[in-house]
Amino acid sequence: MSDKLSVTMNTKERDYIQRLFGKHISWGQVRYLRCAHLDAYERSRKGTTFTDAVSGERFYDCFSSAGCFNVGRGNTVIQDTLRDALDDYDMGSHGILSEAKVAFATKLAALCPGDLNKVVLCASGADACAGAIKLAKGATGRNDVITTKKAYHGHEGFSLSANGKDYYKDLFLPLMPGFHMVTFNDLEEVKRAAGKNIAAIVLEPVQGEGGIHVATKEYMKGLRKICDENGIMLIFDEVQTGFGRTGTMWAMEQYGVVPDIMFTAKSISGGVYPNGAVVYREIKQLTDYVEANPLFHTSHSGGTDLGCIVSSAVLDYLVKNKVWENAAKAGKRFKDGLNEIARANPGCVKEVRGMGLMIGIEYKYEFIGALMADCLGRRGVWAVFSGNAPQVMRFQIPITASMDEVEDLLRRINDAVKGMRWYLLFMMPLAHIPFLQKLFDNVHVQIVAFNLLRDIEDFFLGLFPKKQEVKA
Amino acid sequence: MKNSATRNAVSKEDIFRDAEKVFSVSYVNLLREKGHDFLEQEYSGSTLTDSEGNSYLDCCASNATYNLGRMNAAIIGRFKEAIYETDQGNFVMPSQEKALLARKISGFVPGNLDCVLYGVTRGESMEAACKLARGFTARPELVTVDGGCYGESGFAISLSERKGKEQFGQLIQAVKVIPLGDIEAARRVIGQKTAAVVMEPIQAENNCRTADKSYYARIRALCDKTGAKLIFDETQSGFGRTGTRFFFEQIGVKPDILIIGEALTSGIFPMTAMVFTPELKGFFDIHPLIHLCTFGGHDIGCLVAMTALDEYNRLKPWENAANLGDYLIKELTALAAKNSQKIFSVTGKGLLISLRLADENLALKFCAAARKGGLLVNTGSVDTSTIVIRPSLLIKKEEADKILDIVNKTLQLI
Repeated sequence: MSDKLSVTMNTKERDYIQRLFGKHISWGQVRYLRCAHLDAYERSRKGTTFTDAVSGERFYDCFSSAGCFNVGRGNTVIQDTLRDALDDYDMGSHGILSEAKVAFATKLAALCPGDLNKVVLCASGADACAGAIKLAKGATGRNDVITTKKAYHGHEGFSLSANGKDYYKDLFLPLMPGFHMVTFNDLEEVKRAAGKNIAAIVLEPVQGEGGIHVATKEYMKGLRKICDENGIMLIFDEVQTGFGRTGTMWAMEQYGVVPDIMFTAKSISGGVYPNGAVVYREIKQLTDYVEANPLFHTSHSGGTDLGCIVSSAVLDYLVKNKVWENAAKAGKRFKDGLNEIARANPGCVKEVRGMGLMIGIEYKYEFIGALMADCLGRRGVWAVFSGNAPQVMRFQIPITASMDEVEDLLRRINDAVKGMRWYLLFMMPLAHIPFLQKLFDNVHVQIVAFNLLRDIEDFFLGLFPKKQEVKA
Repeated sequence: MKNSATRNAVSKEDIFRDAEKVFSVSYVNLLREKGHDFLEQEYSGSTLTDSEGNSYLDCCASNATYNLGRMNAAIIGRFKEAIYETDQGNFVMPSQEKALLARKISGFVPGNLDCVLYGVTRGESMEAACKLARGFTARPELVTVDGGCYGESGFAISLSERKGKEQFGQLIQAVKVIPLGDIEAARRVIGQKTAAVVMEPIQAENNCRTADKSYYARIRALCDKTGAKLIFDETQSGFGRTGTRFFFEQIGVKPDILIIGEALTSGIFPMTAMVFTPELKGFFDIHPLIHLCTFGGHDIGCLVAMTALDEYNRLKPWENAANLGDYLIKELTALAAKNSQKIFSVTGKGLLISLRLADENLALKFCAAARKGGLLVNTGSVDTSTIVIRPSLLIKKEEADKILDIVNKTLQLI
């Protein structure tokens, strides 16, 4: 196969790509995604959808790369901005100023509430998380950090230490000492852990990877008070919640709480060019530290010329179209619709949670995650269950989604849940036997079992090959 | 929304004032001190031009990123198309883009370093490498040499010799630092608990410091004996910079994990990678999606990097780097001999060259004076009394002569 991208792929080409991916990157990943029918090859990425290069079917993208596509996929305004910028710009020189860098940082600060006026440009969410924690530790001269259980902040040293799920950490110990995990939304636990040794409390206003858990207003206001009383820096991770996802530009606006430091990434990139940022309050403790240590966090590929031009265009687009208003409106309808589905299916859905277009459905059993992904996949809905919490399906479609698309999506989800009942008729009685439920919930068992099913399915489908039409 | 959202900065002074406000005054002052207080506006090939129309021969190349010069036409052209063919993609999924680039990287990197994990920044790839070594060996210890510079993220900074890192409290644990070149120390420290030995085979930010070839061979042997994995960070020395594709070819020692930097795309897309042996990939097969990176393996970035690798193969910039590097080092050494009270030494390999001056102050003065002469250089971040010269690998002989001329004139000024 040449280096050219295929608009469509036949199964032979797909198998070759799978083999390449397996040989050079990870076989395990191919098998893991295949078991839940998540192994689409994305082409024609437009708005809220993409097509699978192999089947030619169109899928709603309910993951958005964990919330990267707030301006919609293939947004021509952003694409054209990047194309035009490429006449004159590349990453620029690390450490040297340019109009693009300063203009973006200034614009970003202007869009943040309160006295969040100061910026450190970064390259990714994890990079920004590292910057935020370094800033808090450096400015307070303290070592310890409070983070929440199930939290997800990234995979580099600082953010990994801050993650609230052992699964991501256990194989890589020892990490950084002094990170204390508290239960999300439990203020009493924070009060017990808070003290003069704590540099920062870090949390996501809505836990994404952890399974869409929304912080309460009392909790956020309580955290602000605890931080003020103990000289602790309050840090919000708005990597997934930022840029309109939750119905306001930033999730923090809905709480009326301004953190001392916030960091963000993902959608700042417009889905086309990586970027990220730490924004912090213009308060003496923080600015004194940074003035004394201006190079405390230099991110080599963060805040590049192209990145800043793209991110500026993303901010302009969001503001001009007030995209967060759409997220609020479409999000409300989506959540209401999912609640209706939940009420009609008390046997499998436990709860619907969320804010704006960051919504999760929690099923009653962990194994339903992969099953449901499969059932949705067969109905043109590509949705991912939480790695941290496989019983939670995350719905984070691009927030540019129209109301018609939301209705269509709800119909498909409803069909998928109905379709799943057949599996459940068979699985449920077995799932009540504790040993079997444990077996079903085991991801390795799922990978083997579901891959086997896919093999059988592919074999029969291979007997009757479907001719794929090339769509413009 | 604040009022400043609608304000438009225009003049250089306005933009600098905004930079002081939004970043920090001391950062901008640092640039002033170094003579880097200009706005980068245009660039092409080996030069960049500021907002006032002054052109500079760029010997920073954004810390050895722009190995093919600025704005390579083929890469930019492919990038423009790629924007409309694909986007970032859902990062958890396999894609044709990721698979095809992996195939290409495995063909580009010598030996059996066939497997790839993508990152965004150089530091992030180091994080992945340390985690892979720990995960695969089920051992805790990371051993590194003194004077290293791997990045600003968690594992990377823990391994680096970096001023002020104690401000960040307790960092990654079970890290041991040994003096570079001291094989006895290595023997004492590298053992059954060692997951990995981490080093830059040439320390770009530390006066291009290296050890004898035999040292690396002995480290390799120690790793083989104990089961520890050898990690080389070639962020700055890779992609032809030192006269071969990678510097490890010259020392004759192959690592188990290699970190490659943003030179992968020649500085047009933020993308780095760690490249490793098939043996180590077993870990990611058993633990899929254990290390995630949203922007890592960005599908547009993959297409950009593929064209960059084609350009590397076509232009073979390592040949020019070897030739002109030898020439520059020879001439600079002669120049140093004549100015021995100002330049203490000239070290380096290919087009990664370090001049050691008397102290940090003089090095900063050198940067500022060189800029006035039309040459952009920076100090080393570990050894701050050094000036690092790392231009595009495609510079011409006349440009090499211009570097020599400006260095010579700058020495008379400081």
